Amino acid sequence: MTLTAANVEVAYGSRTAVRSTTIALEPGRLVALVGPNGAGKSTLLRALAGLVAHGGAVTWRGAEVAKLDGRTRARTIAYLPQDPPVHWPLAARELVALGRLPHRAYAAHESSADAAAVTKAMQQTDTLEFAARSVSRLSVGERARVLLARALAVEAPVLLADEPIAMLDPYHQLDVLGTLRAYAAGGDSGSNPRLAVVVLHDLGLAARFCDRVLLMDDGAIVGDGAPDATLGAQAIRAHYRVEPFIARHEGEPLIVPWRSLNGRRGD
Amino acid sequence: MSATSRNGPTPALVLALALLTLAAAAASLVIGRDGGGPTFGFGGPALADTIVREIRLPRTLLALLVGGTLGLCGAALQGLLRNPLAEPGLLGASSGAAFGAVIMFYFGFAGASSLLLPLGAVGGSLLALAVLYALAGRRGDFLTIVLAGIAINALAAALTSLALNFAPSPYAALEILFWMLGSLADRSLAHVYLAVPLMVPGWLLVVAAARGLDALTLGEDTAFSLGFDPKRTQALVIGGTALAVGGAVAVTGVVGFVGLVVPHLLRRAVGQHPSRLLLPSFLGGALLTTLADVAIRLLPPGPELKLGVVTALLGAPFFLHLVMRSSAREG
Repeated sequence: MTLTAANVEVAYGSRTAVRSTTIALEPGRLVALVGPNGAGKSTLLRALAGLVAHGGAVTWRGAEVAKLDGRTRARTIAYLPQDPPVHWPLAARELVALGRLPHRAYAAHESSADAAAVTKAMQQTDTLEFAARSVSRLSVGERARVLLARALAVEAPVLLADEPIAMLDPYHQLDVLGTLRAYAAGGDSGSNPRLAVVVLHDLGLAARFCDRVLLMDDGAIVGDGAPDATLGAQAIRAHYRVEPFIARHEGEPLIVPWRSLNGRRGD
Repeated sequence: MSATSRNGPTPALVLALALLTLAAAAASLVIGRDGGGPTFGFGGPALADTIVREIRLPRTLLALLVGGTLGLCGAALQGLLRNPLAEPGLLGASSGAAFGAVIMFYFGFAGASSLLLPLGAVGGSLLALAVLYALAGRRGDFLTIVLAGIAINALAAALTSLALNFAPSPYAALEILFWMLGSLADRSLAHVYLAVPLMVPGWLLVVAAARGLDALTLGEDTAFSLGFDPKRTQALVIGGTALAVGGAVAVTGVVGFVGLVVPHLLRRAVGQHPSRLLLPSFLGGALLTTLADVAIRLLPPGPELKLGVVTALLGAPFFLHLVMRSSAREG
């Protein structure tokens, strides 16, 4: 029961965005996808979601994602783009309820399971207090949390989220990563483990909250494993071109990019 | 917890619109017009049956059908293009249909059989949308579709002007011009029978896209990830609009702005939901068109105004208002 990518490759015209990539991702894990700008993180995430034409194959439980019917795919993989548009100023709760579309038959009323999923997702993202407010009257950070709630409300076994905490204040960054970790672990009971892959730029938070870190650079995965192993000073220097400050606080890793380094990427 | 109508289209709104539409339809059956201005009632028991069945019933039914089509398709296109300025005319469906009909006039076929004119309109509408598809359909990019629609509109208008320029006689040119203004006068039940088989499948295609339109609220990527391929949604809405609007233009000429104004007025009342806007817009379009057609008959004596002229006179300033407001918001 894994999401696997076998020799997945994405090219935009003559430019290769993702080089041949093979990975297996198990449920129960919160996986961070990190790397400098233009490394191919978003493109790999879109390929995993079946959103972009690619070479190789992405499979879920042995079935190719590209060949799943839309409804099955939508119930299996929830995808949150980076800063998606909101074209109509729906009430926040109505927007979150769009996440239940894959579960609802045509013209069907909202079921109690739908209502419960929407309420839970809004609780987890601390957005219930403005459930009735139009999303056009929310701040950028509040809107980002509502959009994350929309993705959580799908209750899919796989969640792919592109920079879900980039716009959030520190309180909600910590809060949302805790929520995502619980989502992956399978809730309070741990009975329903899921896979969550999250694109992050904060290496310290990635190291603290995630079980596994995929480090990408120049279209390829150049590091894969536990945070301590992947996000060492050497790797950060080589791929991010920054000198990191790495320490431990209360038994957890603390990584702060300290100084930018001169020189080309990969030196 | 929000108290908004989260279980489908607001029933009270739909009921109110349906009742108002029925009342307008009843008024349309009772009010007539002759050389001396408006007339009320049925002009005596001997004539009543004929007047209602031959004149006012077809006119009323067509107002409801055409207005409903324009309201529904306008709401669906606005949802598809995620732009409150979208309208059936935008895709070139209306102007293509008008051109097809003008060709029939031009070659004098319209006189030979009343069926050829509508067939020309449907052919023109389908041709316009086929060209649209060839230009922009496969790319699936909505901006390209809008630009292609503008180009097709311009081309259809130019070709129509060309046909007018070369019209065989001044009378033919006048006939074309009058027909293009859009009117419900002097129609028969044959027109209803001709339009309905095109409109109903068109409506069904458009309505089948309802959930896809909701999903598109969050952009094409999210819509796809929710299981609604934007290309399928697009094919349903565009194909349905071609059929239904082609059928409408065929029997009434071009009636503009109903598809723009009605969804806009109702959007707030349905909480901005694209799918919940469809049924109310259908009813609202039917209501507005019927009322406009009744209002024409109530005007003082003189030549009867064309329906398309009235909707354009009311709709164009409204459109301008919308454009100015949206550019003020962005600027």
